[in-house]
Amino acid sequence: MNRLVILLLTAVAAVLVAVLPMLVGPYYIRVLQIFFFSAGLGVAWNILGGYAGYWSFGHTVSIGIGAFTAAWLGMIFGAGSGPWSMVLPVIAGALLSGLFALVIAYPLLRLRGTYFAIAMLGVSQVVAELVNNVSIFQGGIGVFLPSPVPSGMPVERFYYYIFAVVLSLLLLISWWVKRSRFGYALLAIREDEDTAMMLGVPTERYKMAAFVLSAVMVGLLGAIYGYSLGYFTTYSVFRLDWSLNMIVFCLIGGIGTLMGPVIGAALILFLTQVLLGGFLDLHLMITGALVVAVILIMPGGILRTRWRLPGRKPARGGAE
Amino acid sequence: MSEILLSGRGVTKKFRGLTAIDDVSFDIPHGAIYGLIGPNGAGKSTLFNLITGYHPLTSGSITFRGKVLGNMPIYRRNQLGLARAFQIAKPFPALTLAENVRVGAMFGRPGDKNVERTTQEALDVTGIAHLAQRRAGELTVGDLRKLEIARAVATRPVLLLADEPCAGLNPTETEEMVRCLRAVRDAGTTVWLVEHDMKAVTNICDRIIVIDAGKKLAEGTPHEVVNNKEVIAAYLGTPAADLPAHTP
Repeated sequence: MNRLVILLLTAVAAVLVAVLPMLVGPYYIRVLQIFFFSAGLGVAWNILGGYAGYWSFGHTVSIGIGAFTAAWLGMIFGAGSGPWSMVLPVIAGALLSGLFALVIAYPLLRLRGTYFAIAMLGVSQVVAELVNNVSIFQGGIGVFLPSPVPSGMPVERFYYYIFAVVLSLLLLISWWVKRSRFGYALLAIREDEDTAMMLGVPTERYKMAAFVLSAVMVGLLGAIYGYSLGYFTTYSVFRLDWSLNMIVFCLIGGIGTLMGPVIGAALILFLTQVLLGGFLDLHLMITGALVVAVILIMPGGILRTRWRLPGRKPARGGAE
Repeated sequence: MSEILLSGRGVTKKFRGLTAIDDVSFDIPHGAIYGLIGPNGAGKSTLFNLITGYHPLTSGSITFRGKVLGNMPIYRRNQLGLARAFQIAKPFPALTLAENVRVGAMFGRPGDKNVERTTQEALDVTGIAHLAQRRAGELTVGDLRKLEIARAVATRPVLLLADEPCAGLNPTETEEMVRCLRAVRDAGTTVWLVEHDMKAVTNICDRIIVIDAGKKLAEGTPHEVVNNKEVIAAYLGTPAADLPAHTP
C-alpha cells in the first residue's frame, strides 16, 4: 500500500484518539478504553498465534500474573499515589509474566497444534487455582491497588489515554516483528516447522522469543488493567472468556495481519457494548452466531479476504 | 574430486525391531553429482533423514566437512552447509515464492548481508524467477520441485541432498530439473540425489551408491552399477537386458 496513505491514516487516527474524549460521554470513553485494552490483547496473542502459528488457549494467565504482581508489589512496598507510582509495578508485572513464560516454554513448546493449545488452557487454570487457594497470593480474598489517577482528572479519561498509548506501543512492536528477520522465522515456523529447521532457522529459540514477548505484552496490559480495577480477586483477571476473546478478535479481523486484531476487537466490542448493550440476555448468542458467520464467509478474516468488485474476474490465471 | 565432504562409517538405524539402515559406509567427495538408488523401502529417505538430523543414529558416525555431526541440531547442520530438498515438496504455502526462498537466504548463512541477491540468484538458477510473486500454494508439481531446490540453494549449501527431485515430473520437466541440478553443481555445490528415474540418474550422476533392504549393495559409475548383477537382481530379478530405461 502507499506509504503516504498509511502515514496520513496514522496521523488522523492519532488526532482522533487524542480529541475523542472531549467529544463523547464517559460511557463511550469507557467502551473505547476497553477496546484499546482488548485490541492490545489481540495484538499480543497474534505474535505467537498469528505469526508463529502457536495457538494459546490460556493467554489470560499473563493478564492474571501481570495484575497480581503489580498488586503484591504495591502491598509490599506501599506504592505511593500519582501516575508515576504505576511505573515500577506495571513493569514488574510485565517482566514476571515474561519470566513465567520462559520457565514453561521449554516443555510446552515441544507440543504442537491442539496439544499446545490445550496445555496452555491447563496452565492458565492451574495458575488461577493456585492464586485463588494459596493464601499468600490472596487471590481468594482479593487485592487492592492504590489509584494512580491525578486529582481532578476523570478516571475513565486517565485509563483511556494510558491504554491508547500502550496499544500504540504494542502495534509498533508487532509491526517491527512482522517485517524483521524474527518475523520471517516465525512465519516459516507457522508454515512448516520441520522445513524451517532445514533452512537454517533455529526454531526453538524463535518460538521461545515469540512466546515470551507475547506474554510480556499481555502482562503489561494485565497490570494496568489491575490498576484500573483498583480491587480485584482471582476470577476478575484470570478469565477464560478473555483467552477466547483474543483468538476471536484475531480470527475475525485477520489472523497474522498487523491490524487484524484491532479491527476484530473494534467490531466485536461495537456489537456487544454498543449495539447489543440493550439486549443483555441475547447478546452472547448473537455474538456467537456472528463469529460463526464471519468464519464461514471469510475464513481468513476481514483483512485477508480478497475484496473484489462485482463483475471482475478473479486474479488467478487459467493456466491450470 | 579430491577432498571428502561427507562420510559415514557403519551408519545404522533401528526402529524398534526393524533395521532400516544396516552398517552403511560412504564417502562423498567434493564437486560430484552422486546418486543414491534402491528399490522402494530400501532406506534411501531414512539415510537422508539420518544425515540431516531428523532421526538420531543407532550406531555409527557421520562426518561433514571434518565435523562429527552427532546430535547437532538440524538448523546448525544447514548453517554448516548441508541442505536438503524433500521428496514430498514442503512449501510455505501462504508465502510467495520469493518469500519462501528468502527464508533460506536469511537463515542459511547468518550474517550475510546480500539476502536479496542470494534470493534472486536461487530463483534464477532454478528457472522460477518469473513466478516470484505467486503464492507457493498455487504452484504445479514441477514448479514446486524447483522451489524446493531453490530454497535449499538459497542457504548456500556445500552439499545438497535432493530426495527424488524428478518424482512426478513429465519428461520435459525432468530434463529441466537435470539441467538445473547441473547448474547447481557447476556453481560449486556437491549434489547427492535419490532418484527412481533410471534415465535421469544414469544421465546426470558421476557415481551411484545402491542400497537394498538397508544394506549397501554397490557403488560405482552409472555404467558399472547398471551392469552389476546384484543390483539387477535387487531391482528386477531378471537379466540385464530387461533393465528398462524407465518411462513415467
